[in-house]
Amino acid sequence: MFIDKSMTTDVISAGPEMSIAEAREIMAKNGIRHLPVVSEDKTLLGIVTDRDIRTAMPSAVLGQAGGAENRLADIKVKEIMTTRPVTVSPCQTLEDALLMMEMHKVGAFPVVDQVGKLQGIISIRDLLRAFVNVLGLRDPGALVGIVVEDKPGGMKKIVDAISELGVSFGSILVVRVWEEGKRAVFPYLLTTNIARVKKQLREKGFTLLDPMEWCLDEVAKT
Amino acid sequence: MKKTGILYDERFLLHKTGEGHPEIPERLSVIMRGIEEAGLLSKLVAVPVSEARMKWIEKVHSPKYIHRFAEACMLDLGELGDPDNQICPQTYDTALLAVGGILNTIDMLMDGKIENAFCAVRPPGHHAEMMEAYGFCFFNNVAIAARYLQYRWNVSRIGIIDFDVHHGNGTQHIFEQDADVFYYSIHEHPSFAYPGTGREFEKGTGPGLGATLNSTVLPGQGDEEYMHKITRDLLPAFDLFKPEIILVSAGFDAHAADDMSDINLSTQGFSWIMETICEMAERYAGGRLISILEGGYALDVLPELLKNHVKILLGLKEEQTELERKSHVH
Ligand SMILES: [Zn+2]
Repeated sequence: MFIDKSMTTDVISAGPEMSIAEAREIMAKNGIRHLPVVSEDKTLLGIVTDRDIRTAMPSAVLGQAGGAENRLADIKVKEIMTTRPVTVSPCQTLEDALLMMEMHKVGAFPVVDQVGKLQGIISIRDLLRAFVNVLGLRDPGALVGIVVEDKPGGMKKIVDAISELGVSFGSILVVRVWEEGKRAVFPYLLTTNIARVKKQLREKGFTLLDPMEWCLDEVAKT
Repeated sequence: MKKTGILYDERFLLHKTGEGHPEIPERLSVIMRGIEEAGLLSKLVAVPVSEARMKWIEKVHSPKYIHRFAEACMLDLGELGDPDNQICPQTYDTALLAVGGILNTIDMLMDGKIENAFCAVRPPGHHAEMMEAYGFCFFNNVAIAARYLQYRWNVSRIGIIDFDVHHGNGTQHIFEQDADVFYYSIHEHPSFAYPGTGREFEKGTGPGLGATLNSTVLPGQGDEEYMHKITRDLLPAFDLFKPEIILVSAGFDAHAADDMSDINLSTQGFSWIMETICEMAERYAGGRLISILEGGYALDVLPELLKNHVKILLGLKEEQTELERKSHVH
């Protein structure tokens, strides 16, 4: 799952000499929060976020009697941009981007090639879209929660029991640490006949989870 | 007592779904037996059944899909698109008759021959999309009914209430851009139940924004939560919309005895919902209401549920409580 399959390639960017007033307008008009700053040959110079602009605004108001808008028109993007932002390469993966977003607490990364030219941008929105797709949420279906021993072959038994009924899978989520030695498996099944699936699983000795207990997070159970 | 129509035909039993499938002909047989044994059948006006004209079905479904459905039945392919949608050679004809009967019900109601009606039909309809069968549903009965009211009878504000435990994805999608058809559904929260749509933030699109409303109920909940959400969401919405007629997607799978969901509505809970809907029909629509069967699979409770349902349509609720009070005294 390489980033270049999910990134936005039609990137809206700014030049270093652009005023932050204009940058703010471009971001508002396009509904974006990250504006890569590039030179004429598309080399990435930095990135400006809507937050950078908001932070720059009070000092603009204080610094000049001529009104905030005038001063905003004077400040250039290069003065407030983050130089050397964290970037990713097109051949890194979605998982890389996901983990890096969590680590750096950042909502988007510019995607640059080996020579530092901007190829695209990957944002939390691109990841969300991909994961909504992976979960199969666009297909009519229903989730079932099952607890199994954390042993090889456990998953196969579940898949076999469900497949026997001719039911197809939209996705399967696994919470690896549910409780000591147990994992929770959540198949998203493309059927309305969920009662039949539950009956089959119970008859095969599986323990079904109370829906009110379902959780995808790794929380210690009390 | 109201002039209440009943739509039923033994040919609705000819749609067979095979072993292990809950949407079986017996559902209708036990429902009709329940209504008859309560002495209600003779109080109802029978609606004649005939095949629907294609032009009305095409107001909702694409000709390509209709053709695919017809062909799959003719060739006895066993299922349409997904094993959920089991078909037999008679399924297409049964679905055509169900829609035709519903359109006849509308004609009788609009002509003043009946005041309201219950349509005991199979297959159900609310999951069926314009171009796809889903969740045991092939033709979206209630959606075709609404379009027929719009185009044949020029009704300008139609309210649909769907209390099946599953969200009526098909009905919502068909009308999500239509400001003149208000779709309200109350169902188990989509993160826990089929089909995964009908979240509370889904409110219609474009000109239809605000004419779709979803109330979601968490697993384990029942009467109290339904009363709370219907009072909070549906009553004020219909007070603003003021439907000229109400169509009900009447599903009974939210009952505690029905294992298709984790929702625990009681028999009395269903009566409360139907009484509330009938009161709204009186208030805004001159009593005009057509209830169309969707899901409901617990054969042991269906007779009682539908007996109560029809009794409420007939306006016999008071008498019944009177009767029960007397029987308690003796
Ligand atoms: Zn249902």
